[in-house]
Amino acid sequence: MDYFGQLLANGLVLGAIYALTAVAFTLVYGVVRLVNFAFGELFMLGAFLTASLMLPEVRLIGVAVPMPGFSLPVAAAGAIALTALLGVLVDRIAYRPLRNAPRLAPLITSIAVSVVLQSLAQTIWGAEELRFPEFHLATLPPVVLFDSIYLSVMDLVVMATALAAMLGLSAFIARSSLGRAMRASAEDQMAATLVGIPVNRVVAAAFAIGSGFAALAGLLYAQTYGFAHSGMGFLPGLKALTAAVLGGIGSIPGAALGGLILGLVEALGAGYLPNGTAWKDAISFVLLVGLLYLRPQGLLGKPELNSAGRGSLLGGASDFGAVWLRAAFATFDGWLARAAAGGPRAALALLAFALLLGALVPSDYWLRILTMVVVYGMLASGLNVIVGFAGLLDLGFVAFWAVGSYLTSILFVLLLKDQFGVAPADIWWLLYLNLPLAGLVAAGFAVILGTPTLRLRGDYLAIMTLGFGEIVRVVAINWMDLTNGPMGIRGIPAPNLFGIALGSPRAQFFFALALAVLVVFAIARLVRSYVGRAWVAIREDEEAAEAMGVPTARYKLYAYAASGFVGGFVGVFYAHSQQYISPLNFSLFENILLLMLVVLGGLGTFVGPFVGALIWIVFLQLALDLPFVQAYPETRFALLGVVLVVLMVFRPQGLAASARVALTMSGARSKEAA
Amino acid sequence: MRAPSPTPLLEARAITVRFGGLEAVGGLDMAIGRNAIHGLIGPNGAGKTTVLNVLTGFIRPSEGELVFDGEAIGGLGVNRFARRGLARTFQNIRLFGAMTVLESVLVGAHQRFSANALSLVFGRRAAREAERAMIVRAYELLDFVGLGAEVADRVATTLSYGHQRRVEIARALISAPKLLLLDEPLAGMNAVEKSEIADLVRQVRAQGIAVLLIEHDMQIVRRLCDHLTVLDYGRRLADGPPDEVLADPAVQAAYLGRAR
Repeated sequence: MDYFGQLLANGLVLGAIYALTAVAFTLVYGVVRLVNFAFGELFMLGAFLTASLMLPEVRLIGVAVPMPGFSLPVAAAGAIALTALLGVLVDRIAYRPLRNAPRLAPLITSIAVSVVLQSLAQTIWGAEELRFPEFHLATLPPVVLFDSIYLSVMDLVVMATALAAMLGLSAFIARSSLGRAMRASAEDQMAATLVGIPVNRVVAAAFAIGSGFAALAGLLYAQTYGFAHSGMGFLPGLKALTAAVLGGIGSIPGAALGGLILGLVEALGAGYLPNGTAWKDAISFVLLVGLLYLRPQGLLGKPELNSAGRGSLLGGASDFGAVWLRAAFATFDGWLARAAAGGPRAALALLAFALLLGALVPSDYWLRILTMVVVYGMLASGLNVIVGFAGLLDLGFVAFWAVGSYLTSILFVLLLKDQFGVAPADIWWLLYLNLPLAGLVAAGFAVILGTPTLRLRGDYLAIMTLGFGEIVRVVAINWMDLTNGPMGIRGIPAPNLFGIALGSPRAQFFFALALAVLVVFAIARLVRSYVGRAWVAIREDEEAAEAMGVPTARYKLYAYAASGFVGGFVGVFYAHSQQYISPLNFSLFENILLLMLVVLGGLGTFVGPFVGALIWIVFLQLALDLPFVQAYPETRFALLGVVLVVLMVFRPQGLAASARVALTMSGARSKEAA
Repeated sequence: MRAPSPTPLLEARAITVRFGGLEAVGGLDMAIGRNAIHGLIGPNGAGKTTVLNVLTGFIRPSEGELVFDGEAIGGLGVNRFARRGLARTFQNIRLFGAMTVLESVLVGAHQRFSANALSLVFGRRAAREAERAMIVRAYELLDFVGLGAEVADRVATTLSYGHQRRVEIARALISAPKLLLLDEPLAGMNAVEKSEIADLVRQVRAQGIAVLLIEHDMQIVRRLCDHLTVLDYGRRLADGPPDEVLADPAVQAAYLGRAR
């Protein structure tokens, strides 16, 4: 009983914190239909700002700055107000220009904002944990309930604060005129505008309140666990999003319920399941995936939110930007469209250029970088099949990559070398067998993961696939016997052909290039056939595609399978090229990065993923030459985030979007066109 | 006028559709003859599009059964309806954005391709031949619906409204259907375009494809259709040859709103 009671108390505290953050997600989603990933970072900023205001002195960007040393309530109020202001600012700069853009653009922007905020926080407060100052209430003796449950006074304060905040918000939304305006905007934004509701101000208010709630949750979290850290918002942010979806996104009571359930399940699961603490993150995501499968709208949500967005996930040209900028893009587009119309010839020219580059670049350092460009380009191409062509937002792609990398590493190192003493050099050919094998295994895996998502659309699909990706990562960390856990697998042999080592940077570059040719060729052949036409038809109008005789469910699974195959296939090479893998290589951040690369380059094009990869990786390297970036390397990510936000506003379709892909077999229409 | 053949191509028996508590279609019986041009008419909100959605599998009726070409097809997935030979257009044109006219039309031919992934990737001859044959067919159909080959590479959604309708019809015809269901194909067209589309419908029928047509223009309906079903408040008000049906006082009352 006392053990259970203690877990219950922990669960309630955690649940209260999740619930507060979930309210932020749900409030903003309800009003603008945007999953604002940046709430995780606003959560973190709430903690840092409170801690800073409570201390007598803080080091900011390495400089000691005197601080007022407020008590917790005053500091918290200040931090909440500042974070709310920041939330409004973010909405004004990054989201408002995209209000009418297709869904993926604001989603990408919110991820970019979150990257910017996190790296800025790391730059300002440093990479280490900041100890959260103790509040005098925390030194009081704990309250003992039923002789066995120890609740610290601060735990009670956390629960009471959360409860008061929720009740206050509910009353505000039910009674105040701003609350009424919020409800009206949530129902129908167009109608709300027409009856004279200042929708932009309502949305700003939703962001202010949401950010305030996230900040409150963050500071309570930091207070409970005793520290603030730039990465602290990531996982609680995901959990809170999970909680919001669990309860039914858009519903405030749902968010409270979801948060509470998640907190309790996590605390009890960690306490009672074998090795529960290690698996507790997986528990939440399994819960999420199961619930989305059985009841996509969540416990208290409305089913219509799971509706299809038709058309490209990003949409066409932007209305923003100066005349000269748009003219420049138009020229560039014309040039690109002509090149793309060249088809195979343009592709061969690009390949020749890449070969030349590989032969002439003198430094090993740059060859390694170019190899990474090709690897990331291939992975992004795989993701592009599902996101760009079939129009299904997938945040779990990284799992297929992990399957390929782990399959070959386990076979070569953990099984054959460690168990049977086979030297990797003797079985060099196994690598070539593993490439298609891992592709097939990952494709099978993709179909298994894809099946339950078939009924989901838009943001729900993204969140479910995100859940899958996280589950795979947690499994990779915790299934020690299979994966070696967080230590990863070392000593994966470099590629080798008939005893000739291909480990040199130049050989690896050409190896990667050869694989890229295969990958792009196979994808192009599929896309330029009835299969690709079915995918694009599903993306553009799923119902009409079905009416044309396309079994849409089956073709979605084909898209998952093709995408998974590429992930597994490239994963094999990745493992042998890096010679070391660990679960860290396959984080959600990597998946988001891949998505950003495709978006950067142009969804649904063949060159887009490579253009995106080239820009990103070269950008990372060049940024290292900036003096400021040398001093604070994490600002690179902030810069990338800024670039993405700017791109989403001015060029949402991606840089190479006009390299349009023809969806008919090349050569099949030479005579008929006349 | 041809007499309807004894065994109908599509038979709907006692179809009832309820949305929540609202009955959109009630106990509808309807038979579409082989080689018929069948008109489905009725005032706005009578449930015509709902019926068309039932006949193409988009809406599963609460009660009733569908028999197409001698087989029960109720309960099949939407794509199965298309595969059995029911092709449709939409009231609000639904072409695939970002696709060219040729590509859009080829989506309609989806069921006529069978090459597997490997033969596509390796560009096997059979796969290439199939693609080429369908492209030839697509050009023929573009010509048939009155569009020149020069529109083939334009993005379909950039065409004029009337041309988009024609692309939709070509997209439906390339699946080689037995029944073509057109939801207000003449809406928003001028007199010349209307008579062109009416001619097109006759040519479709001449190829042995039955047509179901939802239309408001009674002049055209009278001249074009050889059988009419009139709906009012989701129920069948009249059914029979156009002259007979349109002379029915109940039908006139429904349209003109006279006291019944």
